[in-house]
Amino acid sequence: MADVYTPEWYDLVKEAINNRVAGMDGLPPETLHIAVDIEGDGVSPYVDEASSRHFLIRIAKGACEWYREVDEAAQSTDEIKLDYRFVGPASEFDAVVGGVIDPIDAALGGVIKVRGDMRFLMRQAEHVQVLLDAYTHGVQTDWPKGEPPYA
Amino acid sequence: MVHRSYDAIVIGAGHNGLCTAAYLARAGLKTAIVERRHEEGGGVNTEEPLRPGFRFNLHAQFMEFFDIMPMIQDFDLESLGLRTIVPEAQAGIAFADGRPPVILHRPDLLDRTHASIARYSRSDADTYVDLKRRAQAIQQMLAVGLYNPPTAQGDATQAMILESVFGDIGITSHFATKSPKVVIDELFETDELRALLYRCCVEFGFPVDQTGTGAGFLTFVMWTMANWKLVLGGTHTLAKAMTQACYREGVELIENNSVSGIIIEDGRAVGVHTRTGDIRATKCVASNANVQQTLLDLVGEENLSELWIKRAKAFRSGPSHVLGTPMFCLHDAPDYRSAAHDPEINRTFYTLVGYESARECIDYIRDAYMGRMPSPGAGLWVNSLWDRSQAPPGHHSATGWYFLPPASDLSAEEWAHVRATFNDRFLARWREAAPNMTPGNVIEHRVHTPDLMERKNMILEGDFSNGEFSPDQMGINRPFPEASQYRAEIDGLYFCGPSSYPGGGVHSACGYNAYKTIAEDLGLPSPVVSSRGY
Amino acid sequence: MREACDVVIIGAGHNGLTLGAYLARSGLDVIVLERRHEEGGGLCTEELTQAGFLHNVHANYHTFVDMAPPVHDLEVRSHGIEYVRPEVQMASIYDDGTALTVHADIDKTVESMARFSEVDAQTFRRLYDEAHGFVDLLLGTLMYQPPMSVKELTRALAQFGVEDRSEFLGVKLRRETINEFLDQHFTNDKIKAHLAFHASVCSYTTDVKGLAIGFPLLVGKINNWHLCVGGSHRLAHALWRDLAQHGGVMISDADVSTIMVESGRAVGVTLSSGEQITARKAVVSTVDVEQTFLRFLNKDAVDVELREKVENKIAHKDWTLFSVHAAMNRLPEYEAAEFDPDVNRAWVVNLGYSSPAELNEDWRLIRAGKVPDPRPNAAVNSLYDPTDAPEGYYTGLLRQFAPFEVNGVGAGEWDNMGRWYGERCLDVWKRYAPNLTEDAYVDWVPFTPLDIERKMPNMVRGDWMMGEISLDNMLDQRPLPELGQYRTPIEGLYMGGSTQHPHGFITFGPGYNALQVMAEDLNIDPWWRQI
Repeated sequence: MADVYTPEWYDLVKEAINNRVAGMDGLPPETLHIAVDIEGDGVSPYVDEASSRHFLIRIAKGACEWYREVDEAAQSTDEIKLDYRFVGPASEFDAVVGGVIDPIDAALGGVIKVRGDMRFLMRQAEHVQVLLDAYTHGVQTDWPKGEPPYA
Repeated sequence: MVHRSYDAIVIGAGHNGLCTAAYLARAGLKTAIVERRHEEGGGVNTEEPLRPGFRFNLHAQFMEFFDIMPMIQDFDLESLGLRTIVPEAQAGIAFADGRPPVILHRPDLLDRTHASIARYSRSDADTYVDLKRRAQAIQQMLAVGLYNPPTAQGDATQAMILESVFGDIGITSHFATKSPKVVIDELFETDELRALLYRCCVEFGFPVDQTGTGAGFLTFVMWTMANWKLVLGGTHTLAKAMTQACYREGVELIENNSVSGIIIEDGRAVGVHTRTGDIRATKCVASNANVQQTLLDLVGEENLSELWIKRAKAFRSGPSHVLGTPMFCLHDAPDYRSAAHDPEINRTFYTLVGYESARECIDYIRDAYMGRMPSPGAGLWVNSLWDRSQAPPGHHSATGWYFLPPASDLSAEEWAHVRATFNDRFLARWREAAPNMTPGNVIEHRVHTPDLMERKNMILEGDFSNGEFSPDQMGINRPFPEASQYRAEIDGLYFCGPSSYPGGGVHSACGYNAYKTIAEDLGLPSPVVSSRGY
Repeated sequence: MREACDVVIIGAGHNGLTLGAYLARSGLDVIVLERRHEEGGGLCTEELTQAGFLHNVHANYHTFVDMAPPVHDLEVRSHGIEYVRPEVQMASIYDDGTALTVHADIDKTVESMARFSEVDAQTFRRLYDEAHGFVDLLLGTLMYQPPMSVKELTRALAQFGVEDRSEFLGVKLRRETINEFLDQHFTNDKIKAHLAFHASVCSYTTDVKGLAIGFPLLVGKINNWHLCVGGSHRLAHALWRDLAQHGGVMISDADVSTIMVESGRAVGVTLSSGEQITARKAVVSTVDVEQTFLRFLNKDAVDVELREKVENKIAHKDWTLFSVHAAMNRLPEYEAAEFDPDVNRAWVVNLGYSSPAELNEDWRLIRAGKVPDPRPNAAVNSLYDPTDAPEGYYTGLLRQFAPFEVNGVGAGEWDNMGRWYGERCLDVWKRYAPNLTEDAYVDWVPFTPLDIERKMPNMVRGDWMMGEISLDNMLDQRPLPELGQYRTPIEGLYMGGSTQHPHGFITFGPGYNALQVMAEDLNIDPWWRQI
């Protein structure tokens, strides 16, 4: 059990991902970098309104190599080329983590925006599903400031 | 990126405006052009308003100044797409009765011209070839004259040139006071050649009966005559290349945006009012618009001295050099009766039709000058004979010029009537000279009349000279003496359009000279290239 | 003219210019060659009637504004371009005097629909909201990347369980016509007629199996129709300027006659004037497949099988457009304004299709080479762009779905019947707007399907989408499977025009997607991919 968005929590998410992909066939060989920008929306108590929390994740051969919080919205650099970015309001991210809404629904509904090569995401649908499942159901999350939906 | 402030603003993207802007930007000024239309080039326009694939130059046609035009050299317009052809047979006249044509060739083929004129008169042939060679030889001198602001010594220089170039054959300085018609009649006896030369003279913009332009006929007209280039793809290709040069220099071209006024603060031009808001100019505003439009419409009388208001109002557009452009989509190119004597008339760049005598030609010109609809006659181009891109395969595009009364001489209804009838009347005449110009050979046609030229390009009265060429509006007097150096009486405001010296014509000299004046005032680099000499 | 460069692009339509500008910004030496005297291809604005009346001869509707990546990457909006998004985007006027209006404001659209059917209005609202949610994803997946196969897409949609999550999106769309989609979800014929009309104007023929796949996206951008102030050609100028400001060159009147191939590699082009331009890195054709493979390439450069396919298998639209361009002295005042005053402010008006059945009947007639009784759509740009006509005057455009070849006689027949059919179209307009009597027109000209091909030979048979819009000719199958990824069997030769996925229309898609492939092949750093 870890508080949402703490290092302990995303270590657990990482572990959950890696447990799930272990032994999976057909994992993409690429190393991918994913930026996540969670925007305070005045609803979620975990991200201050008018500020954002930023995460950077590296996936290599299907597994999560690291998962870290960064100060600013991650940008591509010479060392790290971003492949994807997920952006959305904090309450929506919270709701996804809390299993209240489905991440695919959130993307289809346009509340969480996805940027990057959609072709690759579509082709790796099975693997993407596994990652999302780990994110949403892989970890027992603590909600010290209350659990979504907040209303 | 469109900004709200620039160093320099040019009003109008005609060839002169494009020229001034390109040099300003190259000199390091942040420059924008504000253009009313959706297309650049002003009168350098080519369109296909009739059946697709048939292209027509609606205004500027043949190009006589390209060899000396600084912008073509300085911005390497050829690498940006400007390509030309120089047809061998340049100007000709065809007759309904099938008489031999008279054909003038480009300067390297004068022996053929001699043979053509000699069919009528060996003496005229000798004279023409002699005059043409002498006029060719002074190209550099004329170029220096064009690409410099006018000087007070202009008239004296002209007389001196006449004396030195033609004096030995009796053409002395007093010829400068004659009218072109008198000069032509005095020098040539052949009626057919006279008709052709009258028309070539007025084509250049010199009113044929205007005294005091005789020297101009012998120098400028004789030099440019039959020295004409065809722009591949249509004359608009020049505008494209100039625009592209401007883009590459970083000029912003703000199109579809009319200037409604020039902002004057403390007696200084500091920007323009436009449809989308004010744009400031920290260093200068140059106007490619006519001097009347610039001063009376854009600056406003409240910002002008009484003298300047009077001068601006007195500036005349037309009645000479007002033209209408007919457009014909053809199956076959015209096949003239006169071709029986000399088939080259069927492949002559510019062909006169509708004048059986010098008298008919001069009456036609005078009718138009007097505000009367002339009997139909035209100078015609079938550019697709050389440039296949100007018509669909197996077809031809023909265009031409009619001399017509100034736009304001006729009512809107009368112009509509001209559009509905004049081409048919001309076609009947054309058919007399070229029997294959039957209704079945003409797929579609239309005429672009002076009133529409005024609407499309703001060319007042449809006057191709953009201000009549007469001694009181030429040289140091253009547009009027106080404004002859491209400066307005308002600081920071300059004229770069064809109502300034030297006037209408695709030489961009107004734009080039205006840049020289601006450069002098702002301490910018001179555009003069020593090898060029101007 | 210059004799060598890195990349030669054939065709200065919006795709050629877009691709050229990206490559120029990437530091490559680019020359874009255009056969016509004007750049822009379908972005063509000409004073066809009289001076001062700006007629959009082809593209009039810009529906991907701010959705297409090049609009941002090339800073298109900074190049002096002005877009207007009309408040009243479209309307349908029906024979009984009623009218439906589509507004930029979707609430107003729903209100207008509710006057015909409350339940359909609610369905439309759900469809729009849903489509609006995934429009970015759809654009990213289906428009602005090289295409996947239908099979791959279907598999992914199934894997993500999209069908269970969406009321309107699902794998079954690929087996349906737009008509079937409408019948499943809507009840009112007039509402269906309007949505079918809207799809048709976007070239999605309503009775073609599989085209339902595009319907949600069409609805998602139903209120994103933009008008380019001063004529569509201004977008061409903006793109040309971006190209030129970054060192590229556009040459007009450059009629390519040959793509030069050496040892199986495209190395440059020859113009019909005889000039040669060497391309050090690539040649891109943005014109039609036929010209590219049958005219530009020597017979021995093209594999026999491919040549045969180009000769026989390139599918073109089985209908095209007949237009009337009008210079007018008054705006239409529709009788239906009594029912809904907003019709007088509607940019594009469907005159007369009251049910999908009427459209179906016209498709049938048109495919049989018959010219239907006109049910044109009317667009008066001057309502939202006063600069497109002299003061006190207006520029009008009627468009009518029409066959290319008429009555078994051929397309040449259009030269004889253009004015006649134009008059009939104007008569229909007058029926709905009685003030449009003969004296309302300063001038008007017909622009026939044959004229389309004459002006733009790459729009073969007047095919303004440059290839049939059908499931067989979509995605990686467009225009042929071996050309579906913008590469050709000839090394260094690419296809980057609307023959490619996604299709014609001002999408920027083909040029942008060709860029992705070329970036891979030429090792260009994709600076534009800002994640």
